[in-house]
Amino acid sequence: MDLGVGEVGTPGNSKPHQPSGQISHLALDIGGSLIKLVYFSTYDDVDDETGRSATESLSVYNGNKKYPALKGRLHFAKFETTKINDCLEFIQKNQLHLGGCQHLQSSPIDKTVIKATGGGAYKYADLFEEKLGICLDKEDEMDCLVAGANFLLKGIHQEAFTYMDGQKEFVQIDHNDLYPYLLVNIGSGVSMLKVDGDGKFERVSGTNVGGGTFWGLGRLLTNSKSFDELLELSHKGNNRVIDMLVGDIYGGMDYSKIGLSSTTIASSFGKAISDSKELADYRPEDIARSLLRMISNNIGQISYLNALRFGLKRIFFGGFFIRGHAYTMDTIAVAVHFWSKGEAKAMFLRHEGFLGASGAFRSYGKRGLDDLMLQLIQQFPFTASPAGDI
Amino acid sequence: MAGLTEDPELGINDIKEETERNNKRIDKKVGVVAEESVQGEREMAPPAGGLIHRSGSRPQLDLSKAAIQGNFEERNPTILLPNQSDDISHLALDIGGSLIKLVYFSRHEDQSIRKKTVKERLGISNGNRRSYPILGGRLHFVKFETSKINDCLDFIYSKQLHRGGISKHPFNLDWVQRMDARWHSELPANENTVIKATGGGAYKFADLFKERLGVSLDKEDEMNCLVAGANFLLKAIRHEAFTHMEGHKEFVQIDHNELFPYLLVNVGSGVSMIKVDGDGKFQRVSGTNVGGGTYWGLGRLLTKCKSFDDLLELSQRGNNRTIDMLVGDIYGGMDYSKIGLSASTIASSFGKAISDNKELEDYRPEDISLSLLRMISYNIGQISYLNALLFGIKRIFFGGFFIRGHAYTMDTISFAVHFWSKGEAQAMFLRHEGFLGALGAFMSYEKHGLDDLMAHQLVERFPMGAPYTGGKIHGPPLGDLNEKISWMEKFLQKGTEITAPVPMAPPGTTGLGGFEVPSSKGGTLRSDASALNVGVLHLVPSLEVFPLLADPKTYEPNTIDLSDHSEFEYWFTVLSEHLQDLVDKAVASEGGTDDAKRRGDAFARAFSAHLARLLEEPAAYGKLGLANLLELREECLREFQFVDAYRSIKQRENEASLAVLPDLLIELDSMSEETRLLTLIEGVLAANIFDWGARACVDLYHKGTIIEIYRMSRNKMQRPWRVDDFDVFKERMLGSGDKKPPPHRRALLFVDNAGADVVLGMLPLARELLRRGTEVVLVANSLPALNDVTAMELPEIVAEAAKHCDILRRAAEAGGLLVDAMINTLDGYKENSSSVPLMVVENGCGSPCIDLRQVSSELAAAAKDADLIILEGMGRALHTNFNGRFKCDALKLAMVKNQRLAEKLINGNIYDCVCRYEPLR
Repeated sequence: MDLGVGEVGTPGNSKPHQPSGQISHLALDIGGSLIKLVYFSTYDDVDDETGRSATESLSVYNGNKKYPALKGRLHFAKFETTKINDCLEFIQKNQLHLGGCQHLQSSPIDKTVIKATGGGAYKYADLFEEKLGICLDKEDEMDCLVAGANFLLKGIHQEAFTYMDGQKEFVQIDHNDLYPYLLVNIGSGVSMLKVDGDGKFERVSGTNVGGGTFWGLGRLLTNSKSFDELLELSHKGNNRVIDMLVGDIYGGMDYSKIGLSSTTIASSFGKAISDSKELADYRPEDIARSLLRMISNNIGQISYLNALRFGLKRIFFGGFFIRGHAYTMDTIAVAVHFWSKGEAKAMFLRHEGFLGASGAFRSYGKRGLDDLMLQLIQQFPFTASPAGDI
Repeated sequence: MAGLTEDPELGINDIKEETERNNKRIDKKVGVVAEESVQGEREMAPPAGGLIHRSGSRPQLDLSKAAIQGNFEERNPTILLPNQSDDISHLALDIGGSLIKLVYFSRHEDQSIRKKTVKERLGISNGNRRSYPILGGRLHFVKFETSKINDCLDFIYSKQLHRGGISKHPFNLDWVQRMDARWHSELPANENTVIKATGGGAYKFADLFKERLGVSLDKEDEMNCLVAGANFLLKAIRHEAFTHMEGHKEFVQIDHNELFPYLLVNVGSGVSMIKVDGDGKFQRVSGTNVGGGTYWGLGRLLTKCKSFDDLLELSQRGNNRTIDMLVGDIYGGMDYSKIGLSASTIASSFGKAISDNKELEDYRPEDISLSLLRMISYNIGQISYLNALLFGIKRIFFGGFFIRGHAYTMDTISFAVHFWSKGEAQAMFLRHEGFLGALGAFMSYEKHGLDDLMAHQLVERFPMGAPYTGGKIHGPPLGDLNEKISWMEKFLQKGTEITAPVPMAPPGTTGLGGFEVPSSKGGTLRSDASALNVGVLHLVPSLEVFPLLADPKTYEPNTIDLSDHSEFEYWFTVLSEHLQDLVDKAVASEGGTDDAKRRGDAFARAFSAHLARLLEEPAAYGKLGLANLLELREECLREFQFVDAYRSIKQRENEASLAVLPDLLIELDSMSEETRLLTLIEGVLAANIFDWGARACVDLYHKGTIIEIYRMSRNKMQRPWRVDDFDVFKERMLGSGDKKPPPHRRALLFVDNAGADVVLGMLPLARELLRRGTEVVLVANSLPALNDVTAMELPEIVAEAAKHCDILRRAAEAGGLLVDAMINTLDGYKENSSSVPLMVVENGCGSPCIDLRQVSSELAAAAKDADLIILEGMGRALHTNFNGRFKCDALKLAMVKNQRLAEKLINGNIYDCVCRYEPLR
C-alpha cells in the first residue's frame, strides 16, 4: 500500500485532494522516511467529499477578519521521502507553495518561503528551489516537535489516549498539569524530549532503534513493499516461533525468582539461533511480529527509564512508527507498564505523525495562528477521520 | 621443582636425595593432571616454596645459635592440606546454550615437607593465616562447544576430573530437596558423586553426565554463580577488569573496599542486569530481550552465517553506513550539533534499508553484521547506563558470551555508556568473562578456601595450549609434553597463522567513538584477535606482599610499560634475536640430545607464538610489563622442561670467580674503610657487567678472562656515575667526622647473576656489612632465570667462599649455611664465633625481575627486621623497582647494559652506572 496522499485515511480511495480554495499556509516535515505536509485551505473552497477522504483535515473557523486564514481546513498529508517527486508534484499541482506566507504578495523575483523542518529540509532545499522555486525556511526539528505536541495537547480535545489490551481510552489533560512530560518521537530514529513548557524542553535521550529499524530490517527479512504492509503482517504473526521465551530456557517454567514469567521474551529472535531453519522457512508474519515487539518493547523500556530518571509521570509517544497501529501501541504500553510495575502509563497522540509539521506550521507565528487555532478548533472539531486507523 | 631435582649435576647430594623422595611421590600422579601435565607439575610455581635452599635441608642444625628473635609459637604453619593421598581436584561446569565452560582445580604437590630452619631463624610467623587449609594448586579454565559435549565428557574422563568431586550422602536432606524428583528417582543407590553445575544445560544434560560419567550434577542458581564468580575475580585478580575505548584496552585495578555496588550486565541470549551489593547480595534490576541471541538469530537470518563467531568475524569487515541511517544522511552530511549529534551518529539502525530499492541479497553480509552489532551493543550500553544511573552506580561490568572479547563489541558498548553518561560512567569488561558462571559454581563448593585468597597469592601462567584453548578451542586438549611438542610442530606446518608476527592494527582500531567504521579492515585482525587469553591460575597461599613496600597499593613493579607499542616492538626484537642463542644454550644444558633439540624447537615456536600474539594484541595476557614478558620466557622454557639453560655457564663462572675471590679480598682488606666502601660499590657495579641477559655483554666475554674484565670494568668506574648517591650512602655507613652512625640491623641483598656478579660484587659487599655487624640476608631466585643465581645455588657458593674468609665462614655458620662443608676447617676462632648471621632466602620467583607484591613468605619474614635493602642488577633495580619506594633505606645498584634503557631511564649511555640511595626519611 502506498503511503501517498489519499491513502492515509480510508484505504481504497485514491483520488487526491485538490483544494480549489486559497491556500494560506504550507509547512513541511521532511523526515528520513516520510514527508509530512500540513497546510491550510480556506473553508469555503473545500470540496468536502474529496477532502474528507483524501487527506486528514481540520476545519477552522474564525470570525476575526484580521487574518487571511480565518476559516477553512488544516490538512495533513504524507509522502514517502523516497517519492519526494510525487510530493513536489502534489505541491505543484495544488499550488500549495503559493500559499507560503512571507512573500505572498511580493514580486515573482522574490522567493516564496515555506516553513520546513526535519533533516530533509536541509537535504532537499535545493530540490525545492529548483523544482518549485521556493525557499525552505528551516525550523528546528525539536522546536517544531514540541510546539506541535504542546499545541495539540492543549488545543485539541482528547488528543491523548492510553492503549492497553486493545482498549483505547482518551485522556483529557489539564493544561495546568501538562508539564513536565516526556515526549518520545519515534521517527526513523527515536528522540526523547523532556518538555517543561512552551519552548522549554531538552533532548534527554533517544535511540537509534526506531521506525527506520523496523521498516528497514522488516523489508530485508520479509520483502514487504511498504511500512504499512509490514505492520499489517505483524497483525497475523506469532512471535513465539522466533523469539526465545523465558519458558524456552527454563523448560516451560517461570524464572520466578527474578520475576520473569515463562512467556516473557528472553531474547528477541533468539530461536533463530538454534533452529536449522533458514529465513525462507519462517513466516513473514511471525518475523514482523517479533520485530515489532522487539522495537516497541525497547522503546518503551528506554522511555520509561528516562521518565524515571527525571521523575516524569507522563510519557507521550508520537512519530510515524506508531501510526495508530494497535499492536505497536500495545507493546509500548506493555513495556512501560512492565518496567514501571504499573506506575507509569504510555500515552499516544492522535496526530502523532504530524507533530513536526504542525510545529513548523505553527511557527508562522506572526499571523497569530496559535491563539486562533486554539480558540477555534475546539469549536470545530474534525471533519475527517484522523490519520491511521484510529 | 621436581624437574629441577632431576638434574644430576645440581650438586649437593643430600638435596638430591631429599627431593628425589618428593619426586617419586609426584611422579605417581603424573598423567592425571592438566594440559601442561608433566611439565606442568615439574614447572612448579615458584612460590609454593618448592625450592628448598640448601640450608633448609639440614634439620640437624643447632637452632640454639639462632640470633634472631621471633615468635616461635606460631611457626610451622600448615598451608597445604596435610593429607597427601587426598588428591582433590574440584570440577565445576557452566553448560550454556553454545559453550560449556569448565573450571577445575589441580593440587600442587605436597609442599609440607618444608624445612623450618630458616623460618625459625628469621622468626617467621604466619599467625595471620586462617585456620583452615588453603589449597595450593591451579585453577584451570577450559571451554568446549556445547554441540561437542562428548569431547567435554572425554576430557573430564581422561583427566578423571569427576573423581575428585565432593561426595555427598544421597539422602542428605537439603540435597534431596533440591533435586528434581524424577531425576532423583533414577539415582543409583550407590552413586553419590556430585559435580556443581550451572547454566541451562545443567538440567538438559544431567542424564548424559549420569550415564557417561556416573556423576550427578548439582544445579546451582545461575545468577548466584555469576555474581560469585565476578566477585571472586574482581577481588582476587589484580588486573581482571579493563576498559575498552576506541580500540584501546586499559586494565583497571579496583580497590576491594570500593568495589560495591556495581552493575553486572550479563549479555547472553538475553541480557540480565544485576546490581551487586556484596558477596551473595544482589538483585536483578533490569534486562533486555535484545541481546546476543538477537544478534545471532537476526544475523543468521540475514547473512546465512553458520556460527556466531563467523558472524562476528564478518562484522570486522563491514561498513554500517550502507545500511544505517546516520544523522548526516538526514541532515545532508551536517551534524545536528544543537543536540550534540554528529553527522556520523546512527540516527536509525537499518534505516537506509527503507529507502533503497535494494533487496537483502544486494547488501553485503559484512555490512549487515556490523549494523546489527552496533545496534545491539549500543542499545545494551544505553539501557545499562540508565540503570546504573537510577541506582547511583558508577561501575558497570559487562560479561557474557556476546562480548567474547570482541573489540568492536566492547568499543560500541563503551561508547554508548560514555556517550549517554557524558563520560561519567565507564563500561568495564572482565578478562575471564566467559567463566563467571563456572567459577561461581566452583565457589559453591564449601571449604575450597578460595574466598579468602588475595591477589598476591595468585599467579597466572600461560602455558602453550592454554592461550588457544582458553581463548578459542583448537582441537583436543593436550595430554602430555609430547603431544604439545607435536602440536607446536603442526603449527609450523600450518603456516604463519600463529607463529609469524602479525602486523599490528593501527591504534584507534575502531575509530572515533565507536561510531565509525572499524579501520582494521582486511585480514590483519582475526575475529578473536582481541580475545584475552585466560591462563592457568596458580594459587600459592604462601606468597605475600613484601612488607617493606612504602605503599603496596600504588606500587607498580614495572619501570617499562609495554603498552607503549614502540617499547614493545623493541623488546620483541631483542627477545627474538636472542632466541636462537637461548635455544642453543637450553639444548646444550640438556646434553644436546635429539629429544632436547626437539623440545628446543618447540620452545622456540611456542615463545615466538607468544610474542607474535602479544605484538598483535599487547593486552592479550593482561597488563604487560617487561618483567612479565621476561618471566613468560622463563615459564615457557620450563614448560618444555628446560630446567636451567645456563646451568653449566653459571657453574663455570662461579668456579672461575671463586678462584680469584681470595686475591680480591686481600686487596680489599688492605684498603682504608672509606676507600674500601667505594671500591666495594665500584666492584658491585663492575661485576654487574657479567650478564648473559644483556646482549652487549655477551660479546665482551670473548675478549678476556673474568678477572681481567672485572678489573678493567672496575677501573673504568669514573665517578660521578650517571646516578650517583654514593656520598649520601657513605655518610650513612661511615658517618662524617667523629660521628659514627650505628650499623644497619639487617640488610636484604637482592642478588642478580651467578659468577663474578655475585661472587666478586655482592659477596664482598655482604662481607663488609657483616664485618660491621649487620645481619645479611641474600635474596635470590627460587627458580632459575637466565644466568641469575638461585637460592639453591647460593649456599654452595657461600661455603666455597667461606673456605678462604673467616668473616664469611662465621656468618654463614651462624646463618646455618654451613655444616659439613666446614667440618675440616676447624680453627681457633671457631669457639668464640659470635658473628651476625649470613642467610639465604628464596624470593618466590623465577624471573630476572621481581614483583614485590608476590614474594615468598620467607622473604616477607626476613624483611621484618630489615632496615636496608640493596637491589642489584638491571632486572631488579632498573626494569623493576627503579621507582619503588620502601619503608627502609634502599640502595639500587646497576650497570646499564642497554643503550635504549640508558637513554630512557637515566638519560645516559650504555655502561653508565646507577647508584641510587634512598634513605628512609
